Amino acid sequence: MSAIGEGLLEALRLVVRGDAELFAIAGRTLLVSGTATALAMLVGTPLGYLLGRARFPARTLILAAAGTGMGLPPVVAGLVIWLLLVRSGPFGGLDLIYTKQAMIVAQFVIALPLVTAFTAAAIQALPPRLPDLLTVLGAGRARAFWLLAREARLGLLAAVIAGFGAVVSEVGASMAVGGNLAGDTRVLTTAIVTETSRAANERAIAYGLVLLAMAFAVVIVLTVVQQRGAR
Amino acid sequence: MEARLEGVAFSYGDRPALETGDLRFAAGRVTALLGPNGSGKSTLLRLLAGLERPRRGRVLLDGRPAPAARAAVAYAFQEAVFLSGTLRANLDLALRLRGLPAAARRARLQEAAAACGVARLLDRPAARLSGGEAQRANLARALSLRAPLTLLDEPLAGFDERGRARLLAELPDLLRRFAATVVLVTHDREEALRLAADVVILREGRVCAAGERRAVFAAPPDPETAAFLGYALVPADGGLAAVAPGALRPGPGDFTLALRVEEVVDLLSGVEVAGRVGGERVAAVFPPDAPAPARGDRVVVGAPAAAVVAFPAPG
Repeated sequence: MSAIGEGLLEALRLVVRGDAELFAIAGRTLLVSGTATALAMLVGTPLGYLLGRARFPARTLILAAAGTGMGLPPVVAGLVIWLLLVRSGPFGGLDLIYTKQAMIVAQFVIALPLVTAFTAAAIQALPPRLPDLLTVLGAGRARAFWLLAREARLGLLAAVIAGFGAVVSEVGASMAVGGNLAGDTRVLTTAIVTETSRAANERAIAYGLVLLAMAFAVVIVLTVVQQRGAR
Repeated sequence: MEARLEGVAFSYGDRPALETGDLRFAAGRVTALLGPNGSGKSTLLRLLAGLERPRRGRVLLDGRPAPAARAAVAYAFQEAVFLSGTLRANLDLALRLRGLPAAARRARLQEAAAACGVARLLDRPAARLSGGEAQRANLARALSLRAPLTLLDEPLAGFDERGRARLLAELPDLLRRFAATVVLVTHDREEALRLAADVVILREGRVCAAGERRAVFAAPPDPETAAFLGYALVPADGGLAAVAPGALRPGPGDFTLALRVEEVVDLLSGVEVAGRVGGERVAAVFPPDAPAPARGDRVVVGAPAAAVVAFPAPG
């Protein structure tokens, strides 16, 4: 039987058996990537909204930086965060290196430009008179933000999908700042690397399939919500 | 509500867009802002709505700065924009943002929608309205607010000819019922005459004429304004004479012209006979029962003195 077929069977066996390690790694992956994406939404959505609506001198520069950040190799983001959090680094005192928190920070850095740029594009794609209309009707800033975000929800959900997709699948940053510690900072992507290096291909494939299934499940939920909004 | 601009100047970046000096929109009257494209009409409306701040001067609504008095303003933009959802939800949101309770909102919404002819469209998604329907819905939203100051940017744009004629006939009554002070933008002389009591004529960001419509239309201050208002400019006594549109009739008058006929157009209600005087196209309408001249004929046409404005040669 092919390695993929065996991997599929192994994945099925692990899931059916309720393999503790698999479920722990998958849960940790969801926790780290989900938290990083949520934080990126929390910062990136208002920032993208501001970039989409306001006109200020540094706007183009920030948009260009967000655009560049969309192509940022995760390993580079990991390296920068590692340099900041390592014991001898400027934030070494926080004692975060090789923790899940450090991985969340690194993944936040990866997701933020994606969420910001997608949000800015979604807000800019709205009819240009819409913000004026809400202003004239008397919507305050918070109300206008909410109403415009609701109008741009298709683009905003695309931002979540892009952000989550990028961080759940990255390996370089998690390896650099998390250290791939078994039972602590090992996530599905770093576990795949570990199992492959041990020549445990079936388990690596099983982890890969679980990662794919998990990403697909999250994205399908978001897509269903998004497409309901499109009706 | 009285709207007043005091020494207002406005620029888009480095490009000057408007310089109005002092301008007053009297309470309870309908004023048309008339001017060619790019003359600053919509910019003036945005200043009144508090959407733009003047570079110099003040915009006051009943003595309060325009942005602070925004709750007193209803604004129908030239392009009808709606949020997603039904037309009812859109109209309701506008009233909700003005703080009206649910029962008042329902009544206002229904009344304005019925008056503007969109009541049957209330449960349709606003995004699926046709051009004319969307423009009527846009108007209904602004009028439902019953604001002390209503701003309408080209309310008749986006209609076919029949739809435009219908709304043009309905608008005076709608404005009487739902609006107090109205400032509307148009580049159409007929719309201004039918809808407004006062007229402000703008050209290249400056006010050329302002006042009661009859006074403004009867006495354009310069040849350019006269030409914009449809006057025919012909050389006379070393200067120019501006003849009001539709004033020329067959036969001599207080102001008489001889024309070599270049065009004859049967308009059913009359025959338009046109020729050129000093390079300017001049047209007179002959009654349908009068013998119509042919191309190449020479005809004499005249206008009463009240329909002619003389502009002496400069210097």
